[in-house]
Amino acid sequence: MVTTIVVIVIVVVLLALWLMSAYNRLVRLKNQVHNAWAQIDVQLQRRYDLIPNLIECVKEYMQYEKGTLEAVVEARSEAMKAREKVEDGANLGDLMQAEVKLKGALGNIFALAENYPDLKASDNMRNLQEELTSTENKVAFSRQAYNDNVLLYNTEQQQFPTMLVAGMYGHKPADLYEVDEEKVRKAVKVEF
Amino acid sequence: MRGSEAVRGSFWEAQRLARRRTSLYLTLFIILTAAMAVLIEVILWLASGKLEFPWAGIAFLVVTFAVASFQYLRFRSGGGSAVAEGLGGRRVEVGSYVHRLVEEMAIAASLPMPAVYVLDNSEINAFAAGMSPERSAIAVTRGATEKLTRDELQGVIAHELGHIANADTRLNLRLAAMVMGFFFVFFIGIRMTEIGMWSGGGRRGQTQSLVLIAFAFMIAGAITWFLGAALRSSVSRQREYLADASAVQYTRYPEGIANALRKISLDQTRDMPKRGLAFAHMYFSHRSIWGKLFATHPPLEKRIARIEGRELSPPNQDQS
Repeated sequence: MVTTIVVIVIVVVLLALWLMSAYNRLVRLKNQVHNAWAQIDVQLQRRYDLIPNLIECVKEYMQYEKGTLEAVVEARSEAMKAREKVEDGANLGDLMQAEVKLKGALGNIFALAENYPDLKASDNMRNLQEELTSTENKVAFSRQAYNDNVLLYNTEQQQFPTMLVAGMYGHKPADLYEVDEEKVRKAVKVEF
Repeated sequence: MRGSEAVRGSFWEAQRLARRRTSLYLTLFIILTAAMAVLIEVILWLASGKLEFPWAGIAFLVVTFAVASFQYLRFRSGGGSAVAEGLGGRRVEVGSYVHRLVEEMAIAASLPMPAVYVLDNSEINAFAAGMSPERSAIAVTRGATEKLTRDELQGVIAHELGHIANADTRLNLRLAAMVMGFFFVFFIGIRMTEIGMWSGGGRRGQTQSLVLIAFAFMIAGAITWFLGAALRSSVSRQREYLADASAVQYTRYPEGIANALRKISLDQTRDMPKRGLAFAHMYFSHRSIWGKLFATHPPLEKRIARIEGRELSPPNQDQS
């Protein structure tokens, strides 16, 4: 009798400990995904902030390229709108598309800038170009970090025995932030 | 991306392998500590022929952990910046080449931005210091910034951030503190044996059992000190492999760090600060003077082979 009770108590305690550790692990991973997303957000915002400066800078030189400039402004507001809709690892699809479009449009400006030696030589333009390149790198790395964290989070949820309780704790797989490599490569090529 | 297909994704596997081996060595470390407490009791039992309450074994554990805790607390004070400045590091400005590389890699590693320093040495080297990501610092030598390409330096920086992300400084200092505790036990053992030998006569029985305990301490201290130091180095080497694999994860470009290691193996300059040798475990590369058993870093060729996935089992494709 006593042995049975002891065994039951031990089993219950072990189970509770395991439930706790699984819960904590999932929360930690989810927070990492959340933080990684916040980091992408910071970098995207930085880029959105730089674009008006860029437009301002090239406007006086590129009077005959209104279409190109408008395309960038439009792509920017579209991307910003798509970003609003994103919640931690869901609804990423629109943003991914909008970002590809924005990247392409920005690439066109830098390609056209090649035709304006005065513009290319200006300090302002050089600084902006450097800032944007650096921000572009950071966007790419933050996206990679986000995907790494999503991979760890999703893998944990799929693994036995955590999979038995992941749903119960309200965890679901997060979306990867993937970019159409081909399209982006085309956009990057003309860029810098 | 830029990495060759075979290598992509295998860094997850490499990380798992290094973590598993770390756990193995840490388990051995714990077993070693417990086994020595038992050994002391066995020695006393064999010598006196009677089983008593294991005071000596408990004393061994208490002394070891007390000394280790004291050492650890001493190590802990001062953040990474204090270490970097102690070695003559100069803080780099925001927006400079090195700072920008660290920024990018900190983002890739999901870490807060560490303090960034450049050491005025022409050897190619780097280190990370600090007990927590928030108080960490990273330093590279002037030689590293001049002799390495952007991709290579990025790999080196990613490796150091890997140490921060994997909490290697903390692990290493804990083990170092434990080894110090073992040494202290050994030291007490020697001193007490000496004192016991000199002060023969008097209350013979008591002195004899005291000498016996001292002798047991000396033996157990010597064994744990030696094996503990060897295990600590084994852990350190695994953490280097782990940081290399983390660097590949952050850069997604194994060639960067692999080529940096190749350049280091060809570079003859050796001018890292001597007093920095106490921190050798956290240098990017370090040639051991004590031979393989106590080396804090694996041989460069082995690290390069691992990074390029030449020693690992076929990479786990579905992880990439």
